[in-house]
Amino acid sequence: MSEAPRRSTRLNKNQEDDSKGKAKPVDQDIEMEDTAADATTEPAEKVLTPKELEALVVADIKQHFALFIKSAKTHEARFAVRALRAVSSLRKRLTSHILAQTIANCYVKGKLFSYDDTRKRLLGYLGSEAAATITAEHETTVTKSETPEVDVYLHLLVMIYLLDQNQLEKGMELSNITVKTVQELNRRSLDQLAAKVYFYYARFYELTGRLSEIRPTLLNAQRTATLRRDDDTQSTLINLLLRNYFHYNLYDQADKLVSKTTFPENATNNQLARYMYYLGRIKAIQLEYTESHQSLLQAVRKAPQNNVTAGFQQEANKLLIIVQLLMGEIPERSLFRQPVLRKALVPYFQITQAVRVGDLNKFQETLATHAATFNADKNYTLILRLRHNVIKTGIRMISLSYSRISLRDVCLKLHLDSEEDAEYIVAKSIRDGVIDATIDHEKGFMRSKENVDIYSTNEPQHAFHQRIGFCLKLHNDSVKAMRFPLKAVQLDAAEVEAARDQERTLVQEIAEADEDMDEDGEL
Amino acid sequence: MAISEVKRLAQALSQEYNAANPDLAKCGQFLSQLKIALIELSYLTHEERPNNIEELTLARDVLEIGAQWSIRTKDIPSFERYMAQLQTYYNDHSALPASPLKYNLIGLNLLCLLSQNRISDFHTALETIDPEQLHNNPAIQHPVKLEQSLMEGSYNRVWSSRSEVPSKEYLFFIDILMDTIRNEIASCSEKAYTSLPLSDAGTLLFFTNMEDILNFAKERNWKVNPVEQKAYFHSDADEKINIPADQIIKQTMFYARDMDRIV
Repeated sequence: MSEAPRRSTRLNKNQEDDSKGKAKPVDQDIEMEDTAADATTEPAEKVLTPKELEALVVADIKQHFALFIKSAKTHEARFAVRALRAVSSLRKRLTSHILAQTIANCYVKGKLFSYDDTRKRLLGYLGSEAAATITAEHETTVTKSETPEVDVYLHLLVMIYLLDQNQLEKGMELSNITVKTVQELNRRSLDQLAAKVYFYYARFYELTGRLSEIRPTLLNAQRTATLRRDDDTQSTLINLLLRNYFHYNLYDQADKLVSKTTFPENATNNQLARYMYYLGRIKAIQLEYTESHQSLLQAVRKAPQNNVTAGFQQEANKLLIIVQLLMGEIPERSLFRQPVLRKALVPYFQITQAVRVGDLNKFQETLATHAATFNADKNYTLILRLRHNVIKTGIRMISLSYSRISLRDVCLKLHLDSEEDAEYIVAKSIRDGVIDATIDHEKGFMRSKENVDIYSTNEPQHAFHQRIGFCLKLHNDSVKAMRFPLKAVQLDAAEVEAARDQERTLVQEIAEADEDMDEDGEL
Repeated sequence: MAISEVKRLAQALSQEYNAANPDLAKCGQFLSQLKIALIELSYLTHEERPNNIEELTLARDVLEIGAQWSIRTKDIPSFERYMAQLQTYYNDHSALPASPLKYNLIGLNLLCLLSQNRISDFHTALETIDPEQLHNNPAIQHPVKLEQSLMEGSYNRVWSSRSEVPSKEYLFFIDILMDTIRNEIASCSEKAYTSLPLSDAGTLLFFTNMEDILNFAKERNWKVNPVEQKAYFHSDADEKINIPADQIIKQTMFYARDMDRIV
């Protein structure tokens, strides 16, 4: 079987995944297998032949169908969410042959829906080669009930496949069709799928550099999703729109979008992390550093901490460092040592050092050396603003070390243009509360005032309040996030055990899905 | 109105505006006529009609003259309106041939934001500018450097930047900016000095004549001692620190409520 080239590095992991699925009885009725299917599996060590692997993937897809159908019947979104979580691991194993086979199985002539066109179309996207592999034998095995969910899910899989194969034009075409289908269907059970569909739709347009074209479509869809209280689609679309605006540096519009929409509270952590990052950037540009800092901190904390999301973590941390510096704080040294971040943060580390010492020359040097990197990160203008922070730190250091210093020396130490400039700058720092000092104009020196004891002020109390508030909020949020089973009364031992197993599978799936968060370098 | 007629009008406007001694009132008349005429063409973006490059260029040129005209007539709100309309032409129509005035006007817009102390708008506007132009175009560099100097407090450099303006339209905003700076310097001085000789205050505030200084000192409520020729600033050293009782009570109640929930 042919792995998509960019996935090849993960081959080992895939096989692990596959082998886990091995013990699962494939031919058993999927409806019966139900949610606990994965729980009963045990990792087998046998190496699988390509054919077996293929069969496994097909079985997995079938199982997802069952989940979607169940979700539509029971109006329980979590089944659909479960299936979608598995998409990331499935994605690595998709081949045109598998897809063709599944499609052939699903869209059979004379069924309830006239799927003939759809089938032809989907197979068309996969290429003639794949279509040729379909034989009569495949068409005999028929999955039972087809619903629009299954239809959209298959479209989604083909889209993902095309994306991985880098067939962007085809993918764009298909995504257009799929988005149209989703919009026409208006089924609540489609919400989770729709969110994914929009995501890949935007991705195709981004990769072909035509992002601005889909803005009206996204805005329309966002409006509809808001009216239907469709949290998943809504959160995805808001993020897509923000990303769209950011792509063209339209921060003004992005800001307006944020102020006119409310981000759904129930959005997934991954979407929330993205949203927080975007919010942080907008606020940073508008000089509201405190708010920006809070958002970015949340983004960094909410994002899953693993190697797959490295792109996101790096971007968010870069911005976080700059915002911290702009606020006059120095980021912790340990941040720059983290293996995922270390390499990407080197330029930012040097900037931080320059700001920390208050050395204007070093700052300019670093800025010049890494200008290209900063420009690529779209952080250049933000870093330019740091210049006066460097000066401020410099003045603060001087004020701390000297009780009296002539303005001429200040000027020399900070490499300023002239003594007059130094006087203005020192005066401004005094007014802005950076230092506590007075200037003697006639004799041309600056005299620092005695340091006040910080514990005699309200500062410590304020700091404590912030920490306590944070802890209490954390506690409240965790209470809110807890979920209890519907029938919480009298579970017998076996049921408890089963529930625990189910829990374990769920945890594992969540971890896998988290890993997948930034597959496409979504930031 | 047919396009040929609009063109004729636009030409008349540009002729009048670029004349040695333009009649600004007449230009204004032309502009309001043109704006009505342009609405009938593809003045603002039409979805149904394919954008006509010729019409769009015409509209943009008229708007550009309008923006400059607003500065000449010292009408800032009108300038902002023209700039807002021009944004679409600059950002969204990539097919249009670049306008020679584009960066000059964007620079002016930046300065306009700066002179009104709308720093966050200033930075948002800055982000939309192509980085290449941002670093090399003198029309953009000027307001960017100005903002930096302002933030640092190098007011000397702001003052000297007056002589380096890229075009004469910039002066209008710089003059507004000067007043702002003067007040900035004054408020800094109040905090930084206990007293200041009047002549020195004059140099700091870029005043050349003693009367201006005295008037300014009066405006800011400085105590001027005529014998010593010094200005004294009121010190706020004995400010009392109150115990923030209200706040502490609120916070404690908040803790108690949340603790209650936990236990």
